[in-house]
Amino acid sequence: MSAPAGSTTSRRDYSMFDAELSGAVLNMRLLRRLLGWMRPYRITFGTSAVLVLLASFLQVLLPVILSIVVIDHILMGTTRSVTPDLGMVDATEWITGMLGVHPLVAACVLYGLIYLVFAVVSHAHRMTLVSSVINGLRDLRQDLFNHLETRPSSFYDRVAVGRVMTRVTNDVEALYELLRGIGTLIGEFVPFFVALAIMLAVDVGLTLLLLLALPLMGFVTYFFRQATRQLFRLVRLTVSTLNQNMQENLSGLAVVQLSDRQRHNLGRYTEINRENRSYELRSARIETLYGAFTDSMAHLSLGVIIWYGGGDVVQNTMTLGGVILFTRFIDMLLQPIVALGEQTNVLFRAMASGERIFQALDWDEKIHEPPSPVKLPERLHGEVRFEHLNFGYDEDVQILHDVTFTIRPGEKLAIVGPTGSGKSTLIRLLGRFYDFDDGQIFLDGIDLNRIHTHDLRRRIGVVLQDFHIFSGTIYDNIALGNPAITREKAEQAARRVNAHGFISALTLGYDTELSERGQNLSQGQRQLLAFARVLAADPEILVLDEATASIDTETELLIQDALRQLTRGRTSILIAHRLQTIQEANRVLVLHDGRVEELGTHEELLAARGLYYTLHSLQFQNSVSAS
Amino acid sequence: MLKSLFRLKVFVSRYRTRLILGILAFGTARFFEAQVPLFLATGIDRIAAGNLNLLLPVAGIFAVVVARFAIVSSARYLVRSSGIRVAFDLRQALYDALQQQGSGFFNRYTIGDMMTRAVADIALIQRLISMGTILLVILIFASLFGFGYMLYLSPSLTLLLLPPLPFVFFYARWASGQMGVASKDVQDRMSDLAAHVQENLSGIRTIQAMVQEDNEIARFRETNQAYSNAFYAQARINSLMSAWMPSLAAVCSIIILGYGGYLVTQGRMTAGELVAFFFYVNMVVQPFRVAGFMVSLFQRAAVASDRLFEVLSLPPEIADHPTGDAPPAIRGDVEIRDLSFTYPGQTRSALSGVSLTIRQGERISIMGRVGAGKSTLLKQLVRLLDTPEGTVFIDGVDVTHYPLSQLRSQVALVPQDPFLFGEPLKSNLTYDDPNRALDEIWSAAASADLKETIEDFPERLDTIVGERGVTLSGGQKQRATLARGLIRHAPVLVLDDCFSSVDTETEEHILSELTRLRANQTTILVSHRVSTARHSDRIVIMDQGRIVEEGTHEDLVASGGLYAELERIQREGADEADFDVLGVTS
Repeated sequence: MSAPAGSTTSRRDYSMFDAELSGAVLNMRLLRRLLGWMRPYRITFGTSAVLVLLASFLQVLLPVILSIVVIDHILMGTTRSVTPDLGMVDATEWITGMLGVHPLVAACVLYGLIYLVFAVVSHAHRMTLVSSVINGLRDLRQDLFNHLETRPSSFYDRVAVGRVMTRVTNDVEALYELLRGIGTLIGEFVPFFVALAIMLAVDVGLTLLLLLALPLMGFVTYFFRQATRQLFRLVRLTVSTLNQNMQENLSGLAVVQLSDRQRHNLGRYTEINRENRSYELRSARIETLYGAFTDSMAHLSLGVIIWYGGGDVVQNTMTLGGVILFTRFIDMLLQPIVALGEQTNVLFRAMASGERIFQALDWDEKIHEPPSPVKLPERLHGEVRFEHLNFGYDEDVQILHDVTFTIRPGEKLAIVGPTGSGKSTLIRLLGRFYDFDDGQIFLDGIDLNRIHTHDLRRRIGVVLQDFHIFSGTIYDNIALGNPAITREKAEQAARRVNAHGFISALTLGYDTELSERGQNLSQGQRQLLAFARVLAADPEILVLDEATASIDTETELLIQDALRQLTRGRTSILIAHRLQTIQEANRVLVLHDGRVEELGTHEELLAARGLYYTLHSLQFQNSVSAS
Repeated sequence: MLKSLFRLKVFVSRYRTRLILGILAFGTARFFEAQVPLFLATGIDRIAAGNLNLLLPVAGIFAVVVARFAIVSSARYLVRSSGIRVAFDLRQALYDALQQQGSGFFNRYTIGDMMTRAVADIALIQRLISMGTILLVILIFASLFGFGYMLYLSPSLTLLLLPPLPFVFFYARWASGQMGVASKDVQDRMSDLAAHVQENLSGIRTIQAMVQEDNEIARFRETNQAYSNAFYAQARINSLMSAWMPSLAAVCSIIILGYGGYLVTQGRMTAGELVAFFFYVNMVVQPFRVAGFMVSLFQRAAVASDRLFEVLSLPPEIADHPTGDAPPAIRGDVEIRDLSFTYPGQTRSALSGVSLTIRQGERISIMGRVGAGKSTLLKQLVRLLDTPEGTVFIDGVDVTHYPLSQLRSQVALVPQDPFLFGEPLKSNLTYDDPNRALDEIWSAAASADLKETIEDFPERLDTIVGERGVTLSGGQKQRATLARGLIRHAPVLVLDDCFSSVDTETEEHILSELTRLRANQTTILVSHRVSTARHSDRIVIMDQGRIVEEGTHEDLVASGGLYAELERIQREGADEADFDVLGVTS
């Protein structure tokens, strides 16, 4: 999937963010790219690979001590058997000589020592692997977050936040599972090959016979996966439907009870619950059969070893220890197939996750910054000029038509117009949240497209309808990490916008922790806090999208007063919904279908009896009739 | 712990036959499995003696394996399916119990908490039955048969193997305790991380407008690192556990090698028996290794059981005991007599001594500041709160005497929070009765000024709303819930602040529709706007849980009280002095 080129938003396929990707194959390109994040930790990663080899070798030595050293050499008295002993016999004899003990004791000592080293080496292997994986994925997650954090509004207009969010959480998580799964497979397959090599050296015929079990197991495992894959998906699907149903029912419980729908809704829930139960039972049936089958294979192999090995021993092509060695190795031979079966689902799911992550990382949509941005003066005067601005989010739907007007430094301009007339678009372009090239906007005579967005946005304070709370204290939410805004300054700002009253009424005052989405504040309080935040930052230009919902009259009063404080001596652009806000503005701009329809003072426009007059008498009917 | 688990008895006992059969089958399967090392030992010993008559051990192993396969697969299924069925029943019971709770309950518990109970706690109990039972049964039978055969082969070697076993058990228990703490930490850090991302992406416009990207990236680095650290700590405990557990088994292996080998040299044991010992020790130690996990499975399921029964054993929040003296159809007279109400756990009363009589066909507006008791009063009418007996009467009959379903279908309340279900608009508008005719729906939509909005959607009435569908604006949602209320043509319609997000023009339209449609029916509405209230038959002003003013628009303006003040402010706008009038401190 290559990165979409260019910046024309309408040419991009946003639907891929909603599509269910399923990784069907082991995608090597994707794995290679993933390994790129492991590069800084390659030494740790490499060490881990060396350690797993060492550990596997040690693991294989243990059954050798039991069968070749103890059974063959010490108990049966077989000297120099045909079976390779990997130096274990010599080692035992050396310890016997050194310590002057019975060979059996020496074998025990050797067993204990090797086991100890094995335990330490495997622990070291696991920890080095985990450490490199964790660090690599931490970096990947950070890169992904950084990337998403800097995508423009046009991106977030079209994708669901929930979908994007799961890429940073669940999808990266799936990669942990993937790498852990690969780690498990390595831990199973390396001993498998070491054991296989030794078994081949001991008895080729018997080894080949036992290897016949592998295709059989592989075959059964494959069918098991095929049979359960769809079932597992259905189980997951019905579980999430169950949860969604319940969550929604509880969220709307008052409506449910007021509509007397409890019985009906329980019936619907029962249906999904039944469906889920039938899938669960079916997958349990298959799983139990498969589990019992894999257990049985190991036991059946024991029978084969006795039957075949017995003949070889009598013909002296194999020792008794050799037979016993096989019985101890059989698990190492079969286990990898089982593990592979267990890991495939994880693997495939992780492949899809990897695709989704890289798709997001490759999404290069951005706001274009000027190659050599103009440095803004310490303090702007605050003159804003729109010149022949045309704009549309999509190429075929134009929103703004030839918009031209000027706001004088320190002036308060109210923008009114019906829904969809382009009010919000106008202020979005002023903050350069979207690229535009047809027409110009000037700030103190400087073309907006020649200013870096960061520099620009620091000069424009925006208060949106929905106030976003950052987790942290109230003070944190006012200061927003700006060291220049001290505690005193924050409090001062809060006082001026009437927020100090409710803040100091809280037990912890400015140190009160705000929860996600600020549920512990009322709508009016959130609005006041948003004002305090902007006032503390002291931008040269204020942009306000006034909240539409009506609030109780007393909070309304506080907000109107705060707004007066906020706009004092500051160029202000107000998307106004309240009569009072409009009346207090210096001028009113009427926007209609993306065109500047009227511009003048409230009185002038009323007198002109144009669109403003109509809007005014419709929307503020009661006030007009009362006055 | 046992007491908590015992509460599950009702749910489990329905499937006891299955469970007992499954457990017995497990015992039989283990017995067959224990034969394998014996046949193996026989085989090895015959080979060692140069005896090629291997048919008995080989055929023995094959026969035992086939028998075990048949038995163990059905044993596992019997037990696992019991777990699945219990989980099914628990989910049903929980859903049913939750539907009978109300605002009192959800003030104490969050929906998220209930979802955790429905998802995680039920899963824990399912796991206990499906997995815990199996593990426990395996542990018991494996020890029984494993030790039985080892004692039969060599009592002295068996006794020597006993001392390490308690260590296996206690270490396993300790380690899984550690593991529990570490996994919880990982989960907590993960939800921090998810919350952080969610918060960031939903506030992305503010972040970018305030140029907070770098700050947020730095903050995320910390959250991200904290998660990595927790993950590493967990991996470490896990890895140490995988290193130590087999070590204890390795001690057993060394004992068998040394002492068993000695017994063989003494001729008191055969080489085959020595090998069989390895298999039996494995059989016994294996389940002990997961013993700690098993203990934590029981413990966690016990906690889960308590958490579930905490909800399941609650009585319905609003008792439904109709007395039979209620008329089958409500006309619409409402009388409130000296109603006082205090929310549970609060000292200040929300309503004190409220009396109000509303005649059929009247339109009443209620106004008052936040917390004056308006919503509380409305909820009492339909018993969303536990209305005290003898306080609220509809057509002269106490509301507690009505069947709940009748009361709520004939007194239609539209709540303040415009809640829509993630379903097609049509199902949302006909939520109380899915069988309503199409023209009914359209005419209600028209009355609520929603018709054009719906016609603008390509899917019209089939448009799915909510998270998975079209996101409606606040005003659209409010109009949809209004339509949902209007469509019912209920004798009493109660609107709790349903015009806050619609503009005055739309509001005028809806109010005139109310006048047209509900001339003979009772309408009660709450609002903040004088423009909404002024055309009502009567206006009621509430303050601090009491009715302080009552009368027509003209009466109240003339009397110069709180309403007159609100009217003036909303007409003229406020000046500094109004802060004092309204008792607002800035």
